Amino acid sequence: MLIWENIRLAISAIWINKMRSFLTMLGMIIGIFSVITIVSLGDTMRGVVAGEYENVGTGLAYVYMTTEDGYYTDNDLFSQQDAENLREAFPKELTYVGFNTGERLDVTVGRTTEKVYFNGLAKNPEAMKKLKIIYGRMLSNQDIEEKRNYVVLDKDTALSLFGKENAVGSTFSVTINREERELLVIGIYENTDSALMKMLSGGGTKTAYIPESIYVSSEGNTQWTLYFIISPEVDINQTQQRVVNLLSRIKNKPVEQIVSYSAAQEMSTIDTMLGSLSAVVGAIAAISLLVGGIGIMNIMLVSVTERTREIGIRKALGARMQDIMTQFLIEAAIISALGGLIGTLLGIGVISLAASILGVKAVVKPTVILLAVAFSAVVGLGFGMYPARKAAKKDPVEALRFE
Amino acid sequence: MKEVIRIEHLNKVYATGAVEVHALKDVNLTICEGEYVAIMGQSGSGKSTLMNILGCMDRKISGSYYLEGIDVAKQGENELSRIRNQKIGFVFQAFQLIPRTSAMKNVEIPMIYAGVSGEKRKKRAQQLLEKVGLGARCHHLPNELSGGQKQRVAIARALANDPAILLADEPTGNLDTAASHEIMDFFTKLNEEGATVIVVTHEEDIAAYTKRIIRFQDGCIISDTGRRETLC
Repeated sequence: MLIWENIRLAISAIWINKMRSFLTMLGMIIGIFSVITIVSLGDTMRGVVAGEYENVGTGLAYVYMTTEDGYYTDNDLFSQQDAENLREAFPKELTYVGFNTGERLDVTVGRTTEKVYFNGLAKNPEAMKKLKIIYGRMLSNQDIEEKRNYVVLDKDTALSLFGKENAVGSTFSVTINREERELLVIGIYENTDSALMKMLSGGGTKTAYIPESIYVSSEGNTQWTLYFIISPEVDINQTQQRVVNLLSRIKNKPVEQIVSYSAAQEMSTIDTMLGSLSAVVGAIAAISLLVGGIGIMNIMLVSVTERTREIGIRKALGARMQDIMTQFLIEAAIISALGGLIGTLLGIGVISLAASILGVKAVVKPTVILLAVAFSAVVGLGFGMYPARKAAKKDPVEALRFE
Repeated sequence: MKEVIRIEHLNKVYATGAVEVHALKDVNLTICEGEYVAIMGQSGSGKSTLMNILGCMDRKISGSYYLEGIDVAKQGENELSRIRNQKIGFVFQAFQLIPRTSAMKNVEIPMIYAGVSGEKRKKRAQQLLEKVGLGARCHHLPNELSGGQKQRVAIARALANDPAILLADEPTGNLDTAASHEIMDFFTKLNEEGATVIVVTHEEDIAAYTKRIIRFQDGCIISDTGRRETLC
């Protein structure tokens, strides 16, 4: 018998019992929807994390020192000189060396006071932070070397402090390290972070960039952590090791007490964590698919009993066992696959909506969709098998007499 | 004339629990092409059992049944389905139309299982419904038709694959007198056109339409008006 006839039969049978079919489908819809949503949410988060690291490059790394006994002395902190030594030792290998320090400070202009997060940038600031400058200019190496009291503000901060976006040329005073400074706005940038990242970094934090040299004194060991960016042209792990070795010599400490992590390492840790988390939760959600399958089996059994006479008629008219079986199997598979399809569309819809609200790129892998729909069809076939066999085995004489 | 049905020493025993019911006892019967036969008997006489066997829906028999030379008892499930599909046209007392399915679709069913393509199927279904006088009601659902009309749809369906025999089990049992005569007139017409028609009934006036009456009692043939060996 033609498959197409069976599909038409199945659709008309589903249509005749609209409400019942829909309720049965609901099990599959919810199951597939949760699997797609959860797995895609995980993938989207991984995409966001990867995107963040892409902004700075996977070459970003940091280093800090530990002690044997937990007692820290001055020598366990870094100084500007240490940073400069690194820059000189690895002029090609490291594109940036700095402390990546920051502090939230009160800024008052006229009657407006705003809390602004000040970030210090060291030499070669573009390597650390690629800002989208819309007015004025970025901090230059010269600004940093000469410890100029310059600042690059974000658009929103400028607007709230000065009442205009283009505040280049304006000044304000701020107390940095107990010393009041008059800062000159030399550039305005636009924050291009996604809503999600803004949320994670403290919700609309107002940020300003200043030369690190006016923030970190050139004298003494004051900094816990040293940041550096490894050029993409050299091997990350090897370079990281060379940096550690050099610091070990400079600070006169064993290599084991110099700890360094790169963004690549961190990213793979987070990626693995998110990956296994969404796999586990996705697997739990997949249990609901099983429940959906049982629902299908249940309703197909009812349907087979209700249509005993129809089965008898069909057999009398020449339907073979496999014809009857195919008819009911296809009906189960269509209910299941249709449920899967609706669930998939709902899942994609919800993920896309959530992503657009958070301002991130939704990641829905085609393999996940394929797997979900294939799985729902398999569930339909699997759980439809028993009722279909039951239908096919009916004795035509008995079935025709069924009331 | 060609022999269509040949039954030799047919016995059928129903074993329901402890009681054994000997429904058919050593029945011998031959029906030829173009015959118009009534099988009569009280309920419990074995006529329904014979009907199921003739219709190839029950092959658990002892003795033998040849339908156009095919030994039915030796066929597998799928072959039996094919025989029902190709060689037998059923007409039932309770019409047995598939509910919520148009007259046209009902007539198409045997052709679907025969693998007839969609276009041809629709054309033939249309022709058959016109033949039984329901050309205008092709798209009506069974519950929109009268009893007589339903039975005519069933006849159209029975004729779909041009079967060797038309097997009607109490075809007028659920119909009023007028509709009954209408249906029997139609069977007579089909027989005149050359169809082999077997009608199972317990009503004398229905049997009177036929040319040969075989009476059953307690699983045995007690009389056969047209039993002429020379016929075949």
